[in-house]
Amino acid sequence: MSPNNTAEPDILWAQRGAIQPGLLQQFRASVAHAFIIMTRRRRFALAAALTFLPALVPIMESFFGRSVYALMASELFTRLAEKLYIDLLSPLLGLFFATMLIAEDVELRTINYILTRPIRRGIWVLGRFTAFLLAAAPILLVSLAITAVACSVERQGFVLSNFNDLKLFIHYVAVQTIALAVYGAFSLFLGALTKRPIVYGVLLIYGWQRVAAFVPGVVDFLTIQKYIDGLKPVLATQRNLVEIQTALGTFQREVFAVGAVKALVVLLVLISLFLGASALSLRTREFGGDKTAGS
Amino acid sequence: MNEHSPKPVIEARCLSKWFGEVVALNNLTVSIEPGVTGVLGPNGAGKSTFIKLALGLYAPSRGEIRVLGEPPRNNYRVLSRIGWCPEVDHFYDHISGFEFVYWLCRYWGMSPRAAETAAERACEMVRITDRMDDPVDEYSKGMRQRIKIAQALALSPELIFLDEPMNGLDPRSREEMYALIRELGNRGISVLVSSHILYEIERITDNVVLLIGGALIAQGRVREIRELIDRYPHTIQVLSDQPALLAKRFAGEPGVFAVETKGSAVTIRTLTPDSCYDALNALAAESPDWVRSIECVDNNLQAVFDYLTRKNAL
Repeated sequence: MSPNNTAEPDILWAQRGAIQPGLLQQFRASVAHAFIIMTRRRRFALAAALTFLPALVPIMESFFGRSVYALMASELFTRLAEKLYIDLLSPLLGLFFATMLIAEDVELRTINYILTRPIRRGIWVLGRFTAFLLAAAPILLVSLAITAVACSVERQGFVLSNFNDLKLFIHYVAVQTIALAVYGAFSLFLGALTKRPIVYGVLLIYGWQRVAAFVPGVVDFLTIQKYIDGLKPVLATQRNLVEIQTALGTFQREVFAVGAVKALVVLLVLISLFLGASALSLRTREFGGDKTAGS
Repeated sequence: MNEHSPKPVIEARCLSKWFGEVVALNNLTVSIEPGVTGVLGPNGAGKSTFIKLALGLYAPSRGEIRVLGEPPRNNYRVLSRIGWCPEVDHFYDHISGFEFVYWLCRYWGMSPRAAETAAERACEMVRITDRMDDPVDEYSKGMRQRIKIAQALALSPELIFLDEPMNGLDPRSREEMYALIRELGNRGISVLVSSHILYEIERITDNVVLLIGGALIAQGRVREIRELIDRYPHTIQVLSDQPALLAKRFAGEPGVFAVETKGSAVTIRTLTPDSCYDALNALAAESPDWVRSIECVDNNLQAVFDYLTRKNAL
């Protein structure tokens, strides 16, 4: 039998003085760990490869020849940046990576190790989210840069050495990064709350957002897309009328535009809300049992 | 408790936890003092629920629990002083044993260098240094158990929870585990070990808390439980590469009243489990072919609990 020993425990192998339970240390641990987990996955290489596909569009077009109707370089770049990078790939990368930032720990039940560590839930969530941005944003940035260069090859009207074109490029990089952040935060939130975050994410991002864009009135204010559109460099007045083609004919729908500053504020608030709600769910939910995992 | 009694490390008052209509823990009031304590009970007794409440992973449905003097849920002061080894294996994908311990040290708030040192020393402590850089996926059950314990020990916590740490271990690893837990106790670390096998707890400590059906049945010395348990037949199942020889070896032993073989499994029914376990451990040390694993499969604990429940009800 072991005696009841009430003496202060020995410091066996770690120096308590070496511990820096500061928020920064915990944040760094969360970022580094999540980054390593993410980049070790095969899925990461697959998503990176997918992200570089749009760069092939201008390259292919140049290779196979161009008609007189070919787009100007700046127009081609604008379309690719808006439709593919901002509207399609940013949410897709969010769904690919950010949904799993918490959901995977819940699924593997490694979340219980985290919840029994003295790390603040908010710091852990913020660290994971930062790791997602550090992993995904450079891929998008490099791909967009390649696309910009490819667009300018054998075309007139878009050269990155030109100040205005460079400004346009930087503007799209910024919008793309904000889109990535907000969709990432949203996906992370879905992963913290639901068992099938990718399914719900696809339905909400690619389903609901498309439907809301066609519904008359202000329903589209309930989408993330609305505020991201507000950040895009094209003048807001040019986006005021949306033409909807149906079997019954063509309709026009008035769009209430959001200014860039308001859009940015809303998006930053949304990012904070999604991250805050994810941290709160970690504090309040119970992950201890098999049946509660991810439920 | 008089004023000279040590402060309890865990105190539960009228603690209940239910999941829907299932009552996992029912009005439990218990006080656990520093040292090594065994939480004993059959499967479904509420042992793991009690541990998860103490870790703050669950919130009590009713009542309260205090660990090291404070409620544990989302309490970083308490969490920085405790360690936990879960019953089930939970690991990150594509990770080595060392990395697993290292990252969990980092989450404790350690700098990279301190975490590295702590992880190395914890691996050394559980004797896994030579394999610590291998992927956890390639570990045997015993090694996975040891690496889980390493992450719980890495910061020298004041209180460690070990949930069924002997599950799936071979006899030699069990002996090592008993020794490790006793050593922790001797160093002044409080350890709460759960098990459904009295013999295992007996090898580690004399202090037990008996749970059944989510309620506290008894708390005290193993000896008292032992006296009750000895009246009931005990069933041990052994996996062996030499089942016929093993069955023959135990057939004539005093106290053994039945030996059955089925494939590589040998089932021994005995009234003297201690001598059987001792003999099996000796055989395992001599020749691993004879004893691949030992498991207590009977419901004798349940019988004791039923007896105690009836006694309490009268």
